[in-house]
Amino acid sequence: MALTISCPNCGKRNGYEFRYGGEDKGPRPAEEGLTPQSWCDYVHMNNCVAGIQKEWWCHKNGCGAWFTIFRNTLTNLEVEEPEAKL
Amino acid sequence: MNRLTKLPTLRIDPSENRSLQYKGQTYQGVAGDTVATALYANGVRVFARSLKYHRPRGLYSLDGECSNTCMQVDDIPNVRTENTLLKNGMQVKDQNVKGSAEFDWMGFMDKLDCLMPAGFYYRTMHKPASLWPIAMKQVRNAAGLGKIAPDFRMKGDYTEIYPRAAVCVIGGGAAGMTAALAAAESGLRVVLLDARPWLGGCFDYRVSAYDQEKALYQRARELAKAVEATPNIRVFKHTAVVGVYNNNLITAFQVGGESDSFNERYLEIRATSVVVATGCIERPLLFENNERPGIMQVGCAHRLARTYGLLPGNQAVFSIGHDLGLEAAADLFDLGLQIACVADIRADGQDPQLLLALTKRNIPFLRGWVACEAHGSRQVEKVTLSTIDGSAKRQFGCDLLVASAGLTPITGPLTLAQAKLKYDMHTGYFLPVDLPAKTHIAGRLTGLQHALAIEASGRLAGLNAAADCGFDTAKSAAEAGQQLNALPGPERGTRLVSAPVKGRKSFICFDEDTTLKNIKQAIEMGFDVPELIKRFTSAGTGPGQGGIPGHNLPLLVSEYQARTGAKPIPTTVRPPLVPTFIATYAGANHDMCKRTPLHDLQKKAGGVFRRMGVWRRARYFSEDFSCREEILNVRNNVGLLDASTLGKFRIHGPDALKALQRVYVSNMAKVAEGRVKYSAMCNDDGCVIDDGVVVKLAENDYYFTTSTGRAGETVEWIRFHTRYDGWDFHLVNLTDAMGVINISGPNACKVLAKVADTDLANEAFPFSSYREFTIRKKIPVRAMRLGFVGELSYELHADASYMPALWQIIEEAGQEFGIRNFGVEAQNVLRLEKCHIILGQESEQRTNLLDLGLGFLWHRNKPDAKTVGAVALRQTEKDPGRFRLVGFKMEDPQRPPRDGSIIVDQRIRGYVCTARKSFTLNESVGLALVDAELAALGTRLEIFEDECNGKRLDARIVPMPFYDPQGERMKM
Amino acid sequence: MFGRFKPLWGKKPQLKSSYDAVIIGGGLHGLATAYFLAKEHGMNNIAILEKRYIGFGGAGRNTAIVRANQRTQENVPLYKEALDLWPILTKELDYNLMFNNCGNLNLMHSEAAMNTARMNVCTAQFHGIKSHLLDAKQLKELEPAINISPDITYPIHGAMFHPPGGVVRHDAVVWGLAKGAARYGVHIHQQTEATAIHTKNGKITGVDTNRGRIHTPRVLVSAGGYSAGMINKMLGIRLPISVLTIQAMVTQPLKPVLNHVVSSGMYHAYANQTLKGEIATGAHMDPWPNYTTLTTAHYIKHQAEALSDFLPFLRGVKFMRTWAGLADMTPDMAPIIDGNDPIDGFYMNCGWGYFGFKSCTATGRYLAKFMAGGQCPDMLKPFTLRRYEKHRLMGETAALVSYSADN
Repeated sequence: MALTISCPNCGKRNGYEFRYGGEDKGPRPAEEGLTPQSWCDYVHMNNCVAGIQKEWWCHKNGCGAWFTIFRNTLTNLEVEEPEAKL
Repeated sequence: MNRLTKLPTLRIDPSENRSLQYKGQTYQGVAGDTVATALYANGVRVFARSLKYHRPRGLYSLDGECSNTCMQVDDIPNVRTENTLLKNGMQVKDQNVKGSAEFDWMGFMDKLDCLMPAGFYYRTMHKPASLWPIAMKQVRNAAGLGKIAPDFRMKGDYTEIYPRAAVCVIGGGAAGMTAALAAAESGLRVVLLDARPWLGGCFDYRVSAYDQEKALYQRARELAKAVEATPNIRVFKHTAVVGVYNNNLITAFQVGGESDSFNERYLEIRATSVVVATGCIERPLLFENNERPGIMQVGCAHRLARTYGLLPGNQAVFSIGHDLGLEAAADLFDLGLQIACVADIRADGQDPQLLLALTKRNIPFLRGWVACEAHGSRQVEKVTLSTIDGSAKRQFGCDLLVASAGLTPITGPLTLAQAKLKYDMHTGYFLPVDLPAKTHIAGRLTGLQHALAIEASGRLAGLNAAADCGFDTAKSAAEAGQQLNALPGPERGTRLVSAPVKGRKSFICFDEDTTLKNIKQAIEMGFDVPELIKRFTSAGTGPGQGGIPGHNLPLLVSEYQARTGAKPIPTTVRPPLVPTFIATYAGANHDMCKRTPLHDLQKKAGGVFRRMGVWRRARYFSEDFSCREEILNVRNNVGLLDASTLGKFRIHGPDALKALQRVYVSNMAKVAEGRVKYSAMCNDDGCVIDDGVVVKLAENDYYFTTSTGRAGETVEWIRFHTRYDGWDFHLVNLTDAMGVINISGPNACKVLAKVADTDLANEAFPFSSYREFTIRKKIPVRAMRLGFVGELSYELHADASYMPALWQIIEEAGQEFGIRNFGVEAQNVLRLEKCHIILGQESEQRTNLLDLGLGFLWHRNKPDAKTVGAVALRQTEKDPGRFRLVGFKMEDPQRPPRDGSIIVDQRIRGYVCTARKSFTLNESVGLALVDAELAALGTRLEIFEDECNGKRLDARIVPMPFYDPQGERMKM
Repeated sequence: MFGRFKPLWGKKPQLKSSYDAVIIGGGLHGLATAYFLAKEHGMNNIAILEKRYIGFGGAGRNTAIVRANQRTQENVPLYKEALDLWPILTKELDYNLMFNNCGNLNLMHSEAAMNTARMNVCTAQFHGIKSHLLDAKQLKELEPAINISPDITYPIHGAMFHPPGGVVRHDAVVWGLAKGAARYGVHIHQQTEATAIHTKNGKITGVDTNRGRIHTPRVLVSAGGYSAGMINKMLGIRLPISVLTIQAMVTQPLKPVLNHVVSSGMYHAYANQTLKGEIATGAHMDPWPNYTTLTTAHYIKHQAEALSDFLPFLRGVKFMRTWAGLADMTPDMAPIIDGNDPIDGFYMNCGWGYFGFKSCTATGRYLAKFMAGGQCPDMLKPFTLRRYEKHRLMGETAALVSYSADN
C-alpha cells in the first residue's frame, strides 16, 4: 500500500505527510439538548464503511490545511466524489 | 575442474583469480563467479542439508528460489551462495549440519519421515505435559537453518536512494530493454531494473539464432549497449525488486560491486507507469528424490556452462517439458556433455528444428516420458524414467539429471500490485486478468517464446507506458501492436506437476521438506484451500518462499479436488519478493531529534541528557539523580532552566479569540493585556490534553504556550476543531523559532535587574503579568512572571538565535549570587512540592479536568463557543465514580514510594503519579490519582510497591500544595 | 502411529434452518465461544459462519504473543485466566498449542517509562502474576542480543520482565478449537457469509446467509476487524471503532538466538523467535481506516531501522515475508463485549485491536456463560459499550491514542 492524498494546496502527496481526521460527521452540534448518547454518537461512533467514505485529512507535514476527500477503504485509493444518489 | 574459458557468452573473467575459505581449505574461483559456482568448479556438490530430514542439497536453479545453496558467509547466515558474487577471502561454512554438508550425522532423520506427517508437531509431544518443555528445546535446536551470534555486527555500508521515474521497467531482458528504449523515445526519465549483474535475461547465455546474422546472446548485448547509451535511461543492475505498492511505488535493493561505495542500497521508486517484464522461471518437476545433488533445472545446467564456463556433469539425463530443455541438451552436448537420454513430458508440440538437432547428435529422445525416481545417496547416480501413466520404466546411469516440468512466469510484482491472476489453460500460467492502473506487461511472462515477439511486446508496453505519462504514442503503439500480432503468440505450456509416484520423497517445497504425500495428508485432514495447506504443511514458508512450490501447489490441489471442479487458485505472494537484509532496509537509519538553542551550553555545563519526545533535554546536572543541590539552590538562591521545548504560538486575525474560546476551557475574552492567563485544553471527553498560558498582545492577537509534548499537534488541533466554521485567523508555530529561559529563586529579580532595561519592581512587574523589554539594550524578550516551581520566577522568551547570548549574559550576572543550572528532574520535584501538575504524569488518557481539581479553569457559560470538552464536563461533574488527584505525605518521611506504585485495599484504588523525598520540607510527599471516595483529607492510603512482598507503605492525604500554601514566595 | 487421516473438524455439515445460536466469524473468539458453549453449557446446536476459512483474519495474522501484564485490574484477571488456559486446553483438545512461555521483555527507554511500567508491574504482582522491572544490566544478562548502548535513538533504561508470558502457535489454537468444537457437535460452515441479521420486537430472530436463512434467537458477531462495519450495516448500531491495518513480518529461520519476546513501545516494535527459528516482528499500524490488509514500504523500512537499533545483530538477517491484518481499535484500547443491549439475543465481541489473541480463550468462555444464561458475568461487565457515553474510558492506555481524530 502506498497511499497518496490530494491536498487542495499542495497537490497529490505521499499519505504519510497527512494525518487522518476521521469520518465526516458534520459541524459540532449545538450544546443544548445533547444527551450522553447523542454526544457520544457524534464524538466516538463511526460508520466503518467498507467502501467509499468522505473523510477529513490534515496536511500535517505540509501546508497544514484540513480538507475532505473521498477514499475507498477497500482499496485505500482516493476516488472522485461519487455522484449523489437520487 | 577445467573451465570452458573461450565461450563468447561467459560472464566470468577466467584470467582474474578470486579465492575463498571453506572447510579449512582455500578454493580458487575467478572474477564473476558466485560463491556456489566457485565451489562447484572445485567439485563441491553438496552445499547444505535440509531443514527437517537433513537431506543433502545441491545447486538447483542458480537464481536463489530455494535454500539449497544457503551457507554461512563471513558470519552471515542463510546467504544464497548461488547468486552471491565471490569476493576474495570470503569465509564460507555449511549450515544445519552435525559434521559437514557431505557427511551429516543427522542424515538418519531422512528415514524417520513416517513419524513426521503433515502437521505432526500439532499432534505430538504434548502428552504427558511434562514432555513438551523438553521437546520444545529439541525442536528449537533442530529448526532454523543458519546460525548468528547475538553480538554479531554487520560490516559495510548500506545506503538508500529515492529515484523518481516516469517509467519503471522491471526486468532487463529483451522485453524490458525494448520497453525501456521505446519509453525513452519520448524523452521520459526511465529506470530499468534487473536482478542479475548484467542485462540480457534469457537471451544472455543462448547461442541459438536470433536472426540470420546474430545469435540471441549477441542480440542481448546489442540491446544492452543501446540502453546504456541512452542518457534518459538509468540502469540498475544486480537490483532485485522486493516490493510493489499501489500508486506505482516500487522498492528494490541493489548489490554493490567491487568498485561501489555501498555493499547494498535500498531503492524506493515512485513511477508514473510500470512495465513488468520479469520473464519466467522453471516449474520444478516432482518425482522421488527430485532434489538430490546432481539434479538441476535446465537454465541452471545451461548457464553453468555458458555463463560460468562449467560443464555441469559428465553423463546426463534430461527430463524436461519445454523446448528450452531440448535447446540446452543440444548445446551442452556440443560443449562436451554426454547425454544418455532426453525425456520430454510432452507427447507433441516440440520445435522440429530442435528434434532434428537431437537426432543429428544421436541423443536418444523419449516423448511422454518423465523421471520418476533418482537414485544415489549423496548424489544422483542413476535415474528411472517412466511413461506419464507409469506403465513402462527404464533406468539410466548418470551424474547429472536436468529436470524441469515447464515454465512459470514471475508474477510476484504483479500480485503485489494487486493484479488478479487466473489460470490460463493454454499456457499453463497464472496470468493477470486485470492489470492495475498504469501497469503493463511484456515478454516471456505473457507466454511468448519467439524472440521477435518478445521484443515486439516490450516495445508495445514501453509505448503504452509513455502514453500514461501524457505522450501521444497511439500511432506507434498501433504499429507495434500489429507487428506483435503478426508474430507467434503465447505458446502452449505443460500442466504436469508430478511423475506417477506415491510421493513419499517427492519434494514440493525444498526449504520445508514438504512432500507430495504431506500435501495429500493435509487435504485429507480438511485443509482444502492452498493458503491453508501452506500454513499446515509449511510449504512455501521457508527462505525461498513460493519460489519452488508457488506454482505447483495450486495445480496439485486442484488436481486432487478434480471432482469438485476446482480451478487452481494461486497462493499469496508477499513482500519482500527476495529476502532482504535488515541492514539494507534500514539504510542510513537517521535519528531525527531536536536540540534546543542552548544544547551546547547545557552540555558544557555537565547536563545529563534524555530524550523527551522529539527533544533531547538536560534532565540532571550532576550524577546525583536526587538533584538535591539543584533543588536547594532554586529554593534558597537562584537557578536557571532551559525551557525552550515549550510549545509557543501566535494566533491573530479577526476570529482569533473565537478560536481560543473553542479550544480553551476558560473565558479567553477575559484575558487582559499585560496579564498572563493559565488555562487548559480538553478533548471531547473532557480529558485534559494540554495546559499553558495565554498572553494578549493586542486585539485578536495572542501569544500562548503549550506543553512540550503537545507542541507538534496544536496547530492541527485548533484547525481541526474550527474546520467547519470558516473563521479567519492565522496560527503560527513559534516553538523552534524561539527559546525560553526560566530564572527562578529568591534572587531571580536581583540577577535579572542587572541586565534588564526595565523596572522589575513588584508594582511595575507583578506576579502573573507579562512585559516586553530588552536585555542589555540589545536582546528583545517577552517576559512572564510565573511560579511553576513555586518561587519568584521569570520566563524569558526570545528569538532562538539570541538564546546562547542571553543565557551567558544571565549566567554572568548571576555569578555573584551563585546562580546554577537546574534540569528537568529538579523542576519536577520543585513543582511537585507546589502540587503543580505535569500532564501525562499526573494524568492519563481518561483523566478529565475535574478529576485534576482544575474545575476552576472551566467557564461554563459560553455555550455558543461550543468549547471542546464542555459537554463532557457537564455530563460528568456529578459522577461520583471517578478518579481524583490528591496530595499525600508518607508516614515515613524518608521513604517515598516509587512512581507508578499502586494504591490498594482489597482491590486497586489508584496509583502514585509522582512522589519524592522533599529536601525542602524534609518529608516524603507525592501526588496520586485515587477513587474519589478515598479522596477526603486525612484518608490513609496503602501503597503497594513492586517487589514489596506484601508489605505496604502508609501514607495520608494532606492539603495541597505542600510548600508555601499561600503562594507568597512566587509573589515576593 | 497416526492411522488414517480424518478431517480435523469433521465432515462438511449441512446448513440447518435453525440453530440455538449463530456465531458470525470463524476466528479465535468465535471458535472459543462455540467450544465453551457446547462443552460447558450443553449447547451443541450451534453454527459458526465463516465467510472465508477459519483463521483467515486476525487469528492467522497475529504474531502469537501471550501475556497478562495489562494496565488495569479490569483487564489483568481475564488475561491471566487465558494464560493459565493454554496448557489446559492443550490437554483438553489433545492438540499441541505449542505454548512457549519464554517470558516477555518490554523495553523502557527513560526513567519516566520505567515509572509507567511500574504500574503494570504492581498491578500484576497484586494479582499474583510474576512481573518485574529490570535495569539495563540485568536485562542484558537475560537477553544478550539487546543493545544497551547509549548511542541509539532511544537508549534502553531497563525493561518490564513478565516470565509467564510467551508465544502460542496461533494456527494450532484455531485448528484445535475447531476440532474441539466439532467434536461437541458445533457446525462450522466455511465459505458461508452472513448477509443480514433479523430482529422482531427488539429480539433476534434469524440470520440470512449466502446459503439460506437460519432461524435463531441468539447471534454473536465476533468477526474481528469486520465486526463494526457489519453491525452498523445489519443492525444500524454504530461503534467507536477505527479499523486499521497492522503489519508483521518474519526473517529467515535461525538457530536459537533470541530467548524472550522483546518489545518496545518507543520503537513500535516487538520481536520474538518462533519455534521454527524465524524472528517474528511487527507492530506498526497505518493510522487511516481501511480493509485492505496491504503492507507498506514505509513500515518494513521503519521496522528495519528500529531493529537495527535495539537488536543490532539482526542487521545480518533477512526479512522473508511481511503481511498485514486488521486491528479494530477502540478509543481506550480495550474491547467491547456486550449483549442483550439494545437487542435481546444480540451479542458482540469486538474492538480487540491488536490484542485479541491473548485472551481469546478466557473471553470465549465467559461469553459462552453470558450467551447461555443471558446474564453478563462480572468479568465482562467493564467492557460494556455504554462506558463511552459515560466518559469512563478503560485506562488500558495511559497516553492519548493517535488514530482517533479527537486527541
